[in-house]
Amino acid sequence: MTLIPLIDAAACSAHGDCEEIAPEIFRLEDVAVVIGDGPDELMLVAARACPSIAIRLIERESGEQVYP
Amino acid sequence: MLIVGGGLAAQRCAETLRRGGFDGGVRIVCGERHRPYDRPPLSKELLARGADEAFPLLRPAEWYGEHAVDLITGVRASALDHDAHRVEFEDGSALHFDHLVAATGARPRTLPEFAPYANVSTLRTLEDSRRLRELLSEGRRLVIIGAGFVGLEVAAAARAVDAPVAVVELARQPLGGVLGAEVGDLLVRLHRSAGVELFFETEVSEIDGGERVEALTLSNGVRLSVDHLLVAIGVVPDLGWLSSSGLPTVGIPTDLGGRSALPDVYAAGDAAAFHDPFLERHALIGHWEAASRQGAAVARTILGEDPAPAALSSFWSDQYGMRIQYLGHAALADEVTIEGDLDARDFVAHYTQAGRLVAAVVVGRPRAVPELRNRLSYLTETTAV
Repeated sequence: MTLIPLIDAAACSAHGDCEEIAPEIFRLEDVAVVIGDGPDELMLVAARACPSIAIRLIERESGEQVYP
Repeated sequence: MLIVGGGLAAQRCAETLRRGGFDGGVRIVCGERHRPYDRPPLSKELLARGADEAFPLLRPAEWYGEHAVDLITGVRASALDHDAHRVEFEDGSALHFDHLVAATGARPRTLPEFAPYANVSTLRTLEDSRRLRELLSEGRRLVIIGAGFVGLEVAAAARAVDAPVAVVELARQPLGGVLGAEVGDLLVRLHRSAGVELFFETEVSEIDGGERVEALTLSNGVRLSVDHLLVAIGVVPDLGWLSSSGLPTVGIPTDLGGRSALPDVYAAGDAAAFHDPFLERHALIGHWEAASRQGAAVARTILGEDPAPAALSSFWSDQYGMRIQYLGHAALADEVTIEGDLDARDFVAHYTQAGRLVAAVVVGRPRAVPELRNRLSYLTETTAV
């Protein structure tokens, strides 16, 4: 659990892929929102699946952007 | 609150209304007999082996009851009586509305010369997709008219299950040439190396068959045998039910909040032509993302909220495991420059007009997207004079 997911609300167009892949982390409202925590691997799968590339993943310790 | 049509725009509208605290009645009347489902998979993963039972519902069945949304399926609208605030349906019923959302989407364009034949179809509905999957799984030889996104995605899906497939396109480039020669050529190379026969600047000059199309002769002299023919040449708004309403049936022009020219009537999705502040005209978009945003925009208008800022036009396509990300208005471009390696599927194509970036296609470089989106954000603003 070293990654922090951030959603670019202006980019998100509510496809819902992230919620489908990781419902414990993402929920679809008007746009996707982060509702919880989960394994890094799952976050990466969800972020890569996002057709709008609206999910950024930040390394908690270093602040480095891991994705995209 | 009456929403006519049961696709993505209708679903997003209903969802946004309820999330925004709308406490009036919400009714969706859906022409198809299914609950609202997602269409992009119809030309992609639903054609894959083993997808027989897949049903890409936008929301589970219980969602509608939980959110007090009354969903009626299998009923098509036949007329709008605006004076009476009433919609009539093909089954003879009629419903009153305070607010009406026209979200009846689009239907595929067809070719009259193929109308008499039994083995010709289009791809728009779940049934269309299931029929195609069955044919492909039997290894039937598919001929596709049209090298747009649907045609190319189906061709890719056909090769994935080893079904023989040919694509016949009137234009010189796939996707109407909008993405330019370089990206078009890359797609052509990908499809050809996967075993798709592709013919450009070609049309059908002769059809052989009785009840079924057996073979086609093309304008270049090539003869293709046919088990099934798919016509994939785009869509037109499905608005016959508005023919006596005073609203144009070629697409309902709306403002950014989804309001049509008629009071209390809104439109969203493929049936709507939202105003584009940058292009300074109403535009039929037809992309998934536009339908999603427009459905939500109508809901916000009805809730009395300000319209969301205009969004950058964008779409994506998956072919042969390659995700193509598109942003902006490539049709405006006078020049295309490629950064990266096309054949390594790792590049950004920059589309410029008089040196200014107007669109981008990104493959294999998701990291580039946020910055491109920023650089293109001016396209969502009113043209500076």
